[in-house]
Amino acid sequence: MNGASLHRIHLPRGTSVTVRVGAAIRPDEVIGLRRGALAPVQLPLTRPLHRPPGDVEQVLTVRPGERVEAGQPLALNEGGGAVAAPMAGLVLSVSRRDGTLLLAPLGPEEPVISHVRGRVRSIEEGALAVEVPAARLRGVGGAGDAVHGELVVGVPTPEVELRAAAIDSGATGKILVGGSRASAETLTRARAMGVAGIVLGGVLDKELRDFEAIQRRRSEAGGMTGSFGILLVEGFGKVGIDPQLFAWFRAHAGRVASLFGADRLLYVYDAAPLPERRLLARVGDRVIAHRRPFQGRGGVLVALLDDLHAAQSGIPTRMALVRFEDGRLAPVPLANLEATLPATPR
Amino acid sequence: MTFGPGAAGGSATTELSLLMDIGSAWTKAAVVGRTRGRWRIAAHAAQPSGWDEAELIATLAARLAGTADPRVAARLDALLAEAPRISVHTPTRPGRIAMAAVSAELSGAAARRAAESAGWVVVEAVTADDGRPSAERLSALQSAEVDAWLLAGGFDDEGGEGALDMAGLVAAARGGGRSPVVWAGSAALRDDVAALFDPGVLRPVANPRPSPDRENPLPLRRYLDALIERLVERGTARQLAPIGFGRAVAELARAGRLRVVGVDLGARYATWASADENGIADSRVVASGGLASGSLTLPGRPAALAHSLEMAIDELAVADALQNLRARPGSLPQTDEELAIVQGASRELLGELAAGGPAPSGVDLLIGSGRTIAAAPIPGQAMQMLLDGVRPIGIVQLAIDPAGALGPLGALRDDEIVEGLGMLRDDVLAPLGAAVICQGGRPGHVSMRVTVHRVGWPSLGPIDIRPGQLELLPLSRGQVAELEIDLDPSVRLGAPRSARSVQATVTGGAVGLVLDARDVPLQLPRRTDDRRTVLSSWRETLLREPSVEGAA
Repeated sequence: MNGASLHRIHLPRGTSVTVRVGAAIRPDEVIGLRRGALAPVQLPLTRPLHRPPGDVEQVLTVRPGERVEAGQPLALNEGGGAVAAPMAGLVLSVSRRDGTLLLAPLGPEEPVISHVRGRVRSIEEGALAVEVPAARLRGVGGAGDAVHGELVVGVPTPEVELRAAAIDSGATGKILVGGSRASAETLTRARAMGVAGIVLGGVLDKELRDFEAIQRRRSEAGGMTGSFGILLVEGFGKVGIDPQLFAWFRAHAGRVASLFGADRLLYVYDAAPLPERRLLARVGDRVIAHRRPFQGRGGVLVALLDDLHAAQSGIPTRMALVRFEDGRLAPVPLANLEATLPATPR
Repeated sequence: MTFGPGAAGGSATTELSLLMDIGSAWTKAAVVGRTRGRWRIAAHAAQPSGWDEAELIATLAARLAGTADPRVAARLDALLAEAPRISVHTPTRPGRIAMAAVSAELSGAAARRAAESAGWVVVEAVTADDGRPSAERLSALQSAEVDAWLLAGGFDDEGGEGALDMAGLVAAARGGGRSPVVWAGSAALRDDVAALFDPGVLRPVANPRPSPDRENPLPLRRYLDALIERLVERGTARQLAPIGFGRAVAELARAGRLRVVGVDLGARYATWASADENGIADSRVVASGGLASGSLTLPGRPAALAHSLEMAIDELAVADALQNLRARPGSLPQTDEELAIVQGASRELLGELAAGGPAPSGVDLLIGSGRTIAAAPIPGQAMQMLLDGVRPIGIVQLAIDPAGALGPLGALRDDEIVEGLGMLRDDVLAPLGAAVICQGGRPGHVSMRVTVHRVGWPSLGPIDIRPGQLELLPLSRGQVAELEIDLDPSVRLGAPRSARSVQATVTGGAVGLVLDARDVPLQLPRRTDDRRTVLSSWRETLLREPSVEGAA
């Protein structure tokens, strides 16, 4: 999709938004500040007030769920005694058994980065809607964080696998367009080298899971910094990027892009319209097949068969005859094809 | 079709209407027309939902062209495009709920089941025993994008501080805002929990786990049913495919004085609808229970699925095929391997759907809906998905909904459903046949001895069915048979244990009569090769032409 589109940035609870409706924002702009909760601390309430634990409800001045500031009284005695909050935090619970309060201290303020360029259209509960003037590509899979960076192409042709050795320090902070596949090793190296994100035609589900498991372990060990996102544009397995789309990426190398892995979205700024796709292909269309045994292969739809015909699996369906780029002519369920169309000028 | 005088110049016209089920992946349409004075389903078709509607109309017109009166044949496209429609659709998006409970096994499991059965997706769940630090739980709940919150824990007689702690955690994570908090925990704690939230935020519901040994999920499920309608799909409940499907199943049960279970397995949703002879229905709608919903691609699932297939398919290929199905739910399995994976996945999902409630026993009619089941290339494959997935114990008729018409018919008003299903009864369901499924069995002993008396045909049997055995006998559509079944003391057929001899009447279908002593749940060998051999033999039995060999 090209032109402006509305992008919704999810804001974690507790974020205070720092931009206004109508403001123009950049990908590296801070749109909000948030203080995450740290490991809770147990604060005695009744003991300092010389009251039995069972009296905790009588002396309590806050309730679980409340946010308190440093110095704010948590409990008061009739005699004027008070227990104040030692730091700002969220009250999680109060125990009648031992007369204590569980407080999750709020950590330092952390910025919430927009990662998109555009204009703020509205501020909703838990989200910011931003109008993004960019070419928008929706992938079929993705993982990881929201990132932004300069677009670079990391493989010579779309059917080539992105190898770990091809990633060097020059890719740091960039969004790298790979080819038909990347191994868990390649993804791990990319992240270690500070690559912001990777766009791939396909990836083996197993490789993606292995990569995620490695990242989880590193995260638990506290040895991971920076964000990283992955976008798949064609399918799972070894699947090359459609040559038209790959050519578009090459033509836009050097442009700034935003990648939202979990949302399966890529925005490329100051870009020409993307090649289009149409779900229902017609005779004469250039098509790409999406299921095995032809997954990722391109060709031309030369004829539609009359009536229903059984696919190899036996499913009766509308079949199309496709002349694939390797010269092979094969029947393919029409539902498994997508027409790839040249970009239409804006 | 009948033709009346046209409005202009006496040109022929026809009475048509369209039943449409617009799913997240596929749209199903059926043309209802009058032929020889009766309303019938004259044609049906399905296509990916992303295709133009004109394409669907053209396909339906082409299917009607051979049988329609020549006076309207040239205008079928226009007549279909203008025909009145009864349509249902998959919910635009599922309701998202975050859950906090005391115990993952007790209060958490009961609350989760109730939420998922009502069509919610549990996007985050924390429990006091999940082993996570409090800060991590808090952070997870704060990051969740949700429509509502669900709190559970504490038995009614006991209260419990654990439940209050979880309520405090939710109050801290939620902050403020409009999202409601459903309290489905100890009744004794209701006021204490309400005090943690602003007035009107907390919605108390009966505890789904009121005591350690009792589960009472229905009030919570009904409440969450209504809440999802209010928050996510306002005012269109009857037009939602899962609701329409459940209503149609209830009417089929009431009209036929039968106990009916219907399962609709779609791309995103899975629906289980059951109804008794009085039409009193209960349904479970699992928003993440469909073939493309992602639950199948969770860690460990592809390996488990590969393990359960009759074909040797690499776990990596299974994982990629499931992910591709999720990425492009409107595409079709083109190879035998991919079909085996999809049908294996269907069996797994149906098993989970069945496990979400009481064991299906005493069911008279089991209906399969959704493209994977109802448009399976071979009827025996549909039969296998239903039998292996649902495992209903007893003597059951099986049928499919090939046109996807049950959902739209269930969207009619109450009085119209009766009329609609009454008129189209012969066309809506395609019978697969009948099955006798027993539970239990002793190695070396006969589980069931069955004699089949067919009207106008020689009797079959007695046939001895041993544990693990599956037998298919010929019984064509509409053919009625009387069964005499003698049971081994170790097996049960849903009837009381003391009844060792059972008689029943069954009707045939596209597959025939299945005698199934494979136990409930299915018992499979541990060794991979043995397991595949057994699975292949069961599959071959259901897919081959039924014979009377062995029945003599």
